[in-house]
Amino acid sequence: MAVCPLYRHTRREEMVARGKLALFAADLERPAGEPLPTFHRHAIDHCLLCHSCEANCPKGVKITDLVIAAREEIAREAGLPPGKRLFFALLGGKIPGLARMLKFGALFQGLAWRRIPQSSGLRRRLPFPLTDDHTVIPRLPRRQLADFLRARKPADSGPPVIFFPGCAISYLFPEIGRATIRVLERLGFTVLVPKFVCCGTAARAAGDRNTADNLQHQNHELLAALPLGAPVITACATCGHALMRYDLGGRRAVDISVFLMEHRARLETLLAGRTLDLDVTCHDPCHLRKGQGVIREPRELLDLITGNRFRDLAHPELCCGSGGTFGVTHRELSRTIQAEKIAEITATGATVAASGCPGCLIQLREGLTNAGTAITAEHPVVLLDRLLG
Amino acid sequence: MPDITAITAELHAAGIDADRVITDRTAMTCYGYDATRQSRPPLLVVLPQSTVEVAAALKTAAAHRLPVFTRGAGSGMSGGTIPTGAGMVLSLTMMTRVLELDLENFMVTVEPGIITKELQEAVAAHGLWYPPDPASLAFSTLGGNVAENAGGPCAVKYGVTGEYVRGLEVVLADGTVITTGNKCVKSVSGYDLTRLFVGSEGTLGVITKILLRLLPPPAARRTQLLAFADMGTAAETITAMFRRRLVPATIEFLDHHSIAAIRQELPFALPPAARALLLVEIDGEPETVDRDAERLRELVAPTAIAVITAADERERDTLWQARRALSPAIARIAPHKLNEDIAVPRASIPAIIARIDAIAAEVELPIVCFGHAGDGNIHVNVMLDKTDPGQAERGERAVAEIFRATVGLGGTLSGEHGIGNTKSAFLPLEWDAPTIATMRAVKLALDPENRLNPGKIFPPDFHDHIS
Ligand SMILES: Cc1cc2nc3c(=O)[nH]c(=O)nc-3n(C[C@H](O)[C@H](O)[C@H](O)COP(=O)(O)OP(=O)(O)OC[C@H]3O[C@@H](n4cnc5c(N)ncnc54)[C@H](O)[C@@H]3O)c2cc1C
Ligand code: SF4
Repeated sequence: MAVCPLYRHTRREEMVARGKLALFAADLERPAGEPLPTFHRHAIDHCLLCHSCEANCPKGVKITDLVIAAREEIAREAGLPPGKRLFFALLGGKIPGLARMLKFGALFQGLAWRRIPQSSGLRRRLPFPLTDDHTVIPRLPRRQLADFLRARKPADSGPPVIFFPGCAISYLFPEIGRATIRVLERLGFTVLVPKFVCCGTAARAAGDRNTADNLQHQNHELLAALPLGAPVITACATCGHALMRYDLGGRRAVDISVFLMEHRARLETLLAGRTLDLDVTCHDPCHLRKGQGVIREPRELLDLITGNRFRDLAHPELCCGSGGTFGVTHRELSRTIQAEKIAEITATGATVAASGCPGCLIQLREGLTNAGTAITAEHPVVLLDRLLG
Repeated sequence: MPDITAITAELHAAGIDADRVITDRTAMTCYGYDATRQSRPPLLVVLPQSTVEVAAALKTAAAHRLPVFTRGAGSGMSGGTIPTGAGMVLSLTMMTRVLELDLENFMVTVEPGIITKELQEAVAAHGLWYPPDPASLAFSTLGGNVAENAGGPCAVKYGVTGEYVRGLEVVLADGTVITTGNKCVKSVSGYDLTRLFVGSEGTLGVITKILLRLLPPPAARRTQLLAFADMGTAAETITAMFRRRLVPATIEFLDHHSIAAIRQELPFALPPAARALLLVEIDGEPETVDRDAERLRELVAPTAIAVITAADERERDTLWQARRALSPAIARIAPHKLNEDIAVPRASIPAIIARIDAIAAEVELPIVCFGHAGDGNIHVNVMLDKTDPGQAERGERAVAEIFRATVGLGGTLSGEHGIGNTKSAFLPLEWDAPTIATMRAVKLALDPENRLNPGKIFPPDFHDHIS
């Protein structure tokens, strides 16, 4: 309960798993047709799906599944809010052209958003809904991952691995995808990147199960054509976590940090003792640490990259408050959680905060920018790629 | 019938905003339970943020003659927070500030909603230590710890919560605010009201500030796991340690049921013959720790069948995690359990263990024992299937027998969880009528209408008297 980031900051019982369970139980006794009280909606709405409580639950209660089910129920009854509906229609491919739209956006984003010096983020010029003067969004890249993939000459000799980039890496952080592919190729793998669609988490978390199942199905079909022995590698914690509920046809899904540490010897040979001259800390994405149980490997990787200059946070297990769209819809609470995280990062004295999740990186970069520090937030694999040159 | 609209209006007028007063029936279910699995929604829930707001809430409750059920994290194991009637739940979880950290006097003043672990981290950041370590420290509140006089494994050497409480601010039933205690090590003016409120389970007043004494942390510690072929030998070993004037910070023990439940989770193999474990932690200056660890090894060499020393913090954590995971792990043995936390003087541990074994055989139910052997506090879990009427009856009989045996050995019904409403019927077993009458006189002097946490501590007939 004290592990719930929302409880830490609200101290209200309905925020924690036990409170939510009690509400769900009480709801079963509510007369049919009686609308769900605002209080309950609020409680269901307030969950980062961060799995912190599940990671600590001795009884193995899966509260996130229940929250998702409750959101599905609400969505069925009342429909999704219009913004989310449009967004999922785009992600789900019901309205074509997400990629094109974002590219178009990349050309004109300067009109509405201004660049922040020394940072890769943007601040708003116009009072957009759901944002404020402290909102920092990532700059839309002109070249998306697909452009890089088109230009690349894939190696085809080494053992095959499948890379599942996911939306955030495809459209917002192509450099993470590029770094992942390059590092894997230098380790001698043949990297297959079929045209996967969104992993489905955003839709699932909002209660839009149809879209999520649909997306999962499309990805299953793409996978069917790929070599069976090849592992499916993710560099986005959320995608990796989503793949846990996929049927990968006997293949395993593995986070890039884990995969790299499995090939540590070869990586060390490649590095030949080179290191990055910086102190680094690491924020554990919830979907990596609690969702996939990955804790050790990112640290080992960062130690390797920096020559043992990794410094841990006081509470690395704490959520950053991003929670997908939670940061947008519950800005104030999300910012409070963010501020705590930034303070801990600053306290380590590191100059780079690494994190294996694009969602966390957006949240961390916004927090760091607003705190006015020079600390940057990066994906570990981008650091590694930089070191490999 | 109390007038909810008027009550909420008064609370709002006192500055408690709408989202901190909950009246929706189902919404309140999440403020009407604790770790005993009882659950009753109250009439309304108030989440105050200051002493002033607590006082206002209590005044309102007094005006409308409402019972008041104070709660912290709701991790209580004796039903202390359960609303036994239509009343007001006061949840103090939002009052979480550290008000003053006095580094010169080793004192800290906190609000009651701060979580035990948060307090420990806050003082540790300044090189100080708050020792009490209930297993629930990651979520229990300090207010709840004081109200239950919570203890933890390190009580053997460092004592329980009450030994660190030097002063309190308390709001009484009518809304009056009083202060007790001070920062003086020696302080004898008037009655020691601080002590009175420690362990009062929310029945005498609402604690709104807590002044605690702190210690410098021990420089070193060594954690060892000792395995024995039977519980008797383990129990004798504990007594032998103290006879040699060896005082560890912690001595936890696990019986053979507990061992079976967590064997897989342990990071190392245990000898198959191990039927009792002691988890012993020695702390102090590095030299004394080394010396004491050596003395302990010599002491147990003839009796223990294995001695495992935690090599580093990581291994120590694993050992403790296994210990803390015990409670849920034993749930696999049977669908239900009746868990009690009796305590006996530590020299009587072998005797009580033998008696519990005999009771288990009599009622033909597994009884799992583990706990804080160093201070004589034992968690006794009678495992059963309540849906089987025969088992339910035998379970109840076992508990009553265990209580009788405990009191017979000079022990107590509850070492740390409190009486609440789950053990109140047994109070006369431990205390005679004049003693209970004295407790009652104190209760009625402070709360003449029996509105503060009614239905707790005192046997049911007491409450009939009043209402
Ligand atoms: C897994 C687990 C392990 C546990 N391990 C231990 C252990 O090792 N040692 C131990 O001692 N206990 C243990 N407990 C029991 C429990 O955690 C303690 O009793 C704890 O002190 C309760 O704190 P709380 O904040 O949850 O209080 P609550 O359960 O909310 O309240 C407990 C009692 O205190 C009263 N109260 C709470 N706050 C105040 C206040 N500010 N003013 C006046 N009265 C108040 C309530 O009315 C109630 O009677 C454990 C419980 C769990 C679930
Ligand atoms: S998933 Fe995270 S936010 Fe949701 S209840 Fe659990 S700990 Fe809280």
